[in-house]
Amino acid sequence: MKRYEVIIVGAGPSGLSAAIEAAKRGIKTIVFDENEKPGGQLFKQIHKFFGSKKHHAKIRGFKIGEELLKEADEAGVEVVLNATVIGLYADKEVVVRRGDEVSHYKGDTVIVATGAAENMVTFPGWTLPGVIGAGAAQTMMNLHGIKPGKKILMLGSGNVGLVVSFQLLQAGCEVAALVDAAPKIGGYGVHASKVARTGVPFYLSHTITKAHGEDHVTGVTISKVDEHFSPIEGTEKYFDVDTICMAVGLSPMSQLLKMSGCQMEDNPKKGGQVPITDEYGETSVPGLFAAGDVSGIEEASSAMIEGRMAGVCVAEYLGYCTEEEKEQILAELKEDLESLRQGMFAPANRGKEITETEEGIAVSKNLLQHGFLTEKEVEKYPGVVHKVGVHPVMECTQNIPCNPCQDACPRGCITIGENITYLPIVADGSKCSGCGMCVASCSGQAIFLVDEDCGDGSATVTVPYEFFPIPEEGSKGFGLSRNGEKLCEATVVSVKSVAAYDHTNLLTMRVPKEYAMAARFFKAG
Amino acid sequence: MNRIEEHPILGEPQKGREVTFTFDGKEMKGCEGEPIAMALKANGVMIHRYTKKEHKPRGIFCAIGRCTDCVMVVNGKLNVRTCITPLEEGMVVQTQDGVTAKGA
Repeated sequence: MKRYEVIIVGAGPSGLSAAIEAAKRGIKTIVFDENEKPGGQLFKQIHKFFGSKKHHAKIRGFKIGEELLKEADEAGVEVVLNATVIGLYADKEVVVRRGDEVSHYKGDTVIVATGAAENMVTFPGWTLPGVIGAGAAQTMMNLHGIKPGKKILMLGSGNVGLVVSFQLLQAGCEVAALVDAAPKIGGYGVHASKVARTGVPFYLSHTITKAHGEDHVTGVTISKVDEHFSPIEGTEKYFDVDTICMAVGLSPMSQLLKMSGCQMEDNPKKGGQVPITDEYGETSVPGLFAAGDVSGIEEASSAMIEGRMAGVCVAEYLGYCTEEEKEQILAELKEDLESLRQGMFAPANRGKEITETEEGIAVSKNLLQHGFLTEKEVEKYPGVVHKVGVHPVMECTQNIPCNPCQDACPRGCITIGENITYLPIVADGSKCSGCGMCVASCSGQAIFLVDEDCGDGSATVTVPYEFFPIPEEGSKGFGLSRNGEKLCEATVVSVKSVAAYDHTNLLTMRVPKEYAMAARFFKAG
Repeated sequence: MNRIEEHPILGEPQKGREVTFTFDGKEMKGCEGEPIAMALKANGVMIHRYTKKEHKPRGIFCAIGRCTDCVMVVNGKLNVRTCITPLEEGMVVQTQDGVTAKGA
């Protein structure tokens, strides 16, 4: 039996982060992962992340993955791939299967960072080929370059459902509808809005009642649900789709921890069965840690911090750093983690109904039910102002821990204030140069540059545009409203794409000036 | 047809060289090293297996090797998770019917 000072299960964001902290202090570290490649689900995330600079905000997930792998490599982390940990026994004995071979290892400490598995819901026809998990869709299109389907219905309006819907559109698929049994959208409003403005309809308080087809999906029926989530007869709607995608939450993959004998709890706020840990991830078994989604469903940014916390704790446990050193690092990491756990979507707020922002502005019901703000509602938010000449219009209406827009503006036009969750405001007296850095920096694609009156009866609106084909300058089409309806004729003035925008093209369209505050997307005519 | 030629964020997908394999005796093309399931999907194959008791079709579901819905007979071996098994030149892939190859 081989002995290691720390054995880490899972080479995803938290496992790798833990391994980096341990290995760089000279600890003999090994990471087992059942997959062919390290990085967990990070390499499927092609959207820009939220948060602050410290949290890699505005960097796309797969780039964060690349940085993490590089850091792990430099720290000398040993990652064993295609290695499934099938057992975790008393005294931290780890059993690993590779191919047809099973080997035993002994860890002085063990960090379990196995992540989470997708939840599913069942309905008649749910086993048909063509019904897939949202994660499967991401794997197909973002890792392997394969379209999951031609026309897709998404079930689930949490951030996964919203983000994957947008990614499906980017991959060139059609999204027929976004459906959720809940009465309101679960994910960020900005993620919903960028899907809604392309014309995807949202059906809240609806669920799938049947997937049609003999050998594979040929269509789907959804129905409205009552307050007990039971389908209401006579409300059926049929969609002609070839794929149904499910994004109905995640559950911690905590089986190994349960097997180890550490104390567990059933905690719905954390997504299910999780180990009982202290705030840095140590379980009831000394030297056995849990980090990332396995200890409670959050997202990759917090998983990476939790991993680092566990790695530092292990270092101190094994005598590779002093207690003072550990306390100092943990205090910093804790601050980073706490800042991610602020705002309307904080774990502590799960299940709570939030009716107003921290600024005291009523939350848009239309946004929560249909994925977009009405023209009237949008005027209430501090990022939406009217000025002469080109200026940013920030349709950021929920308190989310995110602030790249503030740093993006070279002229200091945008401020968030002391709390990272505050809504951005346009600073008084600021002069916008129209550089577009704020538009490209907004992970929620909620910033637009608007010149409300160009003097000739027209206005220009600059929108973030991450689709192919990129419309040509001078081409004609339509300005779409926030819910994707054709509003007016529009002409493409320019499409800017520079390295600093990181693949977010800035499309400027000319529209009649009465649509300056309404047109938010361009559709080729 | 099902392949993304160029992606607005990821650019052109990085794929292995083109290889030939067979699916239920029919010759198909795929990219070396990509999961067998992806090559089948690119060729429009939806059904990977039929269940033993009720003979119901199953295809890709999780695509990360967890659910085992996509298992097939590969080079004569049963229950191969095609979503995580890399495609090789000349592979013989067969629809799995219960616990045998289809038609066997």
